[in-house]
Amino acid sequence: MSEKSINILDVVNLPLDIKEHEKAVEENIPSVKEGNLKIYNPDGDNVKKLLTLLKAKLSRQVVGSMVGCVHCGMCTESCHYALARPDDPTMAPAYKADQIRRIFKKHFDWTGKIVPWWVHAGDPKDDEELNRLKNIVFGTCTGCRRCTLNCPMGVDTATLIRLTRGLLAELGIVPEGVFQVSRDQWETGNQMAVSEEDYLDTIEWMEDESQDELEDPSLKIPIDKEDCDFMYTVNPREIKYDPRSLGAAAKIFHLAGESWTMPKWGWDMTNFGLFSGDDKLGGFVARNLYEAAKRLRARRIVISECGHGYRSSRWEGYNWGKYKQDLPSESVLITLIRYINEGRIKVDPSKNSLPITFHDSCNIARSGDLTEEPRWLLHRLCTDFREMHPNRADNFCCTGGGGALSMVEYKPLRMEVAKIKADQLTATGAKVVCTICHNCIDGLTDVIKHYKLDMKVVQILELVENALVLPEK
Amino acid sequence: MSDFLRIMENEVQIVALSFMAIVYIIRLLWMFHFAAAQELTTPVGDTRVGISYSMLNVVMPWTMESTRTHWPFYIQFVIFHLAVIMGISATFIIPYWPGLFKLNSVVIMFQIVLAAATVVGILRLIRRMTNPVMRLISTPDDYFSLVLMTLFFASGVFAVPNTYEVSEWPLILFFIMTTFFLIYVPFSKISHYLYYPFTRYFLGKTMGHRGVFPRKTGGELPAGLK
Ligand code: SF4
Ligand code: SF4
Repeated sequence: MSEKSINILDVVNLPLDIKEHEKAVEENIPSVKEGNLKIYNPDGDNVKKLLTLLKAKLSRQVVGSMVGCVHCGMCTESCHYALARPDDPTMAPAYKADQIRRIFKKHFDWTGKIVPWWVHAGDPKDDEELNRLKNIVFGTCTGCRRCTLNCPMGVDTATLIRLTRGLLAELGIVPEGVFQVSRDQWETGNQMAVSEEDYLDTIEWMEDESQDELEDPSLKIPIDKEDCDFMYTVNPREIKYDPRSLGAAAKIFHLAGESWTMPKWGWDMTNFGLFSGDDKLGGFVARNLYEAAKRLRARRIVISECGHGYRSSRWEGYNWGKYKQDLPSESVLITLIRYINEGRIKVDPSKNSLPITFHDSCNIARSGDLTEEPRWLLHRLCTDFREMHPNRADNFCCTGGGGALSMVEYKPLRMEVAKIKADQLTATGAKVVCTICHNCIDGLTDVIKHYKLDMKVVQILELVENALVLPEK
Repeated sequence: MSDFLRIMENEVQIVALSFMAIVYIIRLLWMFHFAAAQELTTPVGDTRVGISYSMLNVVMPWTMESTRTHWPFYIQFVIFHLAVIMGISATFIIPYWPGLFKLNSVVIMFQIVLAAATVVGILRLIRRMTNPVMRLISTPDDYFSLVLMTLFFASGVFAVPNTYEVSEWPLILFFIMTTFFLIYVPFSKISHYLYYPFTRYFLGKTMGHRGVFPRKTGGELPAGLK
């Protein structure tokens, strides 16, 4: 192991921090009162509860992945944690999944029930062991699903990790950051606790800015307008920290002559339920979005650039929310492709002349469907596109996936394993890395800063905005 | 042929096979009693194509980085599993179609594959014992199953000539191994082939539905233009 390699026990033994739990109880916030946000109870029989919860969550798909692993180790080198820490066998995906598999075996597998030691079956002894389990599933895996796609057996390790996270979330045994973001999304409907006032103010501000930039006062960002062609949904990060992407989208939609709207409620297309493993939270957030589109009689839902947001809103959310998809939903990339293809907007690639590479977001490339779309656009938006290797569904995580950015206690380990991503970025020789995910922007920015790379991160909307050829007045 | 060997080759095998079949049926029913998660989204890709692609991954090593970049492992996998098929076939050929093993070429072919698989088994055992990751994740069942399979292949090398008139011991040993194998398999990791269709089917179904499978390699038309 390299000198800088951190001791994994420092991660695995990180204590459970419940200050925010106590505060939430004290304030008696609605999500706690209604039993949606789970508070850790040291006197609860948590191990027993975990087993009951596990039983209730076993689907045929999950059971297949529980029993299907042959411990061949073929997935080991798929994982950026294992690759960056070759001397630490606990980074192997199979080892991580075995932490829940052993509990499953103890209670549901014949051999595990009768001779547990023969198949390494066993129960966590106490809450301390549950806390260690928390640190493994939240701290040493970003749920990137690279191991899943590289398992010859088709074992979905990432799903097992998420399932375990969900069980622990039901017991309130989660990293402090996960608790906070879940609380905010339950309480406010968006994961950054943006108030309605701030949301509307930001939109108004972006509307003004975009009008000025295009010198066109007819540009509007319509709110709650009914019967539009689509309802546009965004990441709260766009409202709170980086509204430029919203401004860019507004300009592009306006130039394309689009009929669109944003909802006053149900606008957050991100979903922390994906990261915390809490399907109830996932369903709640996703339904807000689907119901908003229905209320506004929108013909489509368009999802701005976000990896986990796209995966949650386009794919998982319907299943978590038990909501049969009733409207088409698409990534804004598809919308942009349509505009360019139909000549509704014109772009000049020479306006983006720096060498650009593309980072595929895990949630889109391995759990979604968009790998060629960003490339189709990039080939029309810049003059020097350089492919990163490996790419598409083989790309490595930005290291900020799985909600890792909200769990500061695991950052040293995250930065250590980010070496894989840093090497991948450096090898492209590009000056700009484009991604279609807000989470990846922060993940990649951390990597770039930590490894002192001469690079900046952009998104497609920014590149389109930059390359726009404005119509003659 | 002694009565003992004849009983081992016939009645004992049939009882052991029936036992395995019953346990497998119970195992399948157990799998089916868990509800399958429902898919409520509209597809982007073709679910059936995704399932086929996923199931056929076993013969498409280039589609997964783990096999694409580890050809020796894939070759070992092929030899090992080919030997499983041949070893099991031999347990039927010897009692019910002995004429086939009168052909020297067939016997040699079986012996080569089974011997190669024995070597692979030993290599796999060494890897399991020496590689830190493999050591950490391996259970006693993993070691035992591997040793069992390796011994089964090795005994098969000597059994396939089916020369009971020279010596019955290779055949007795082979059929004892087979009997134990048939009874133990449903309780061990060796039964993974029973689960393989499930796991690959479900992964293929989800990934096909979403358009992730078949994996894209470049040049495919973007969804916005289809
Ligand atoms: S998860 Fe798959 S690749 Fe990894 S050890 Fe298990 S069977 Fe092998
Ligand atoms: S999902 Fe990704 S980070 Fe997690 S174990 Fe698998 S490869 Fe590693």
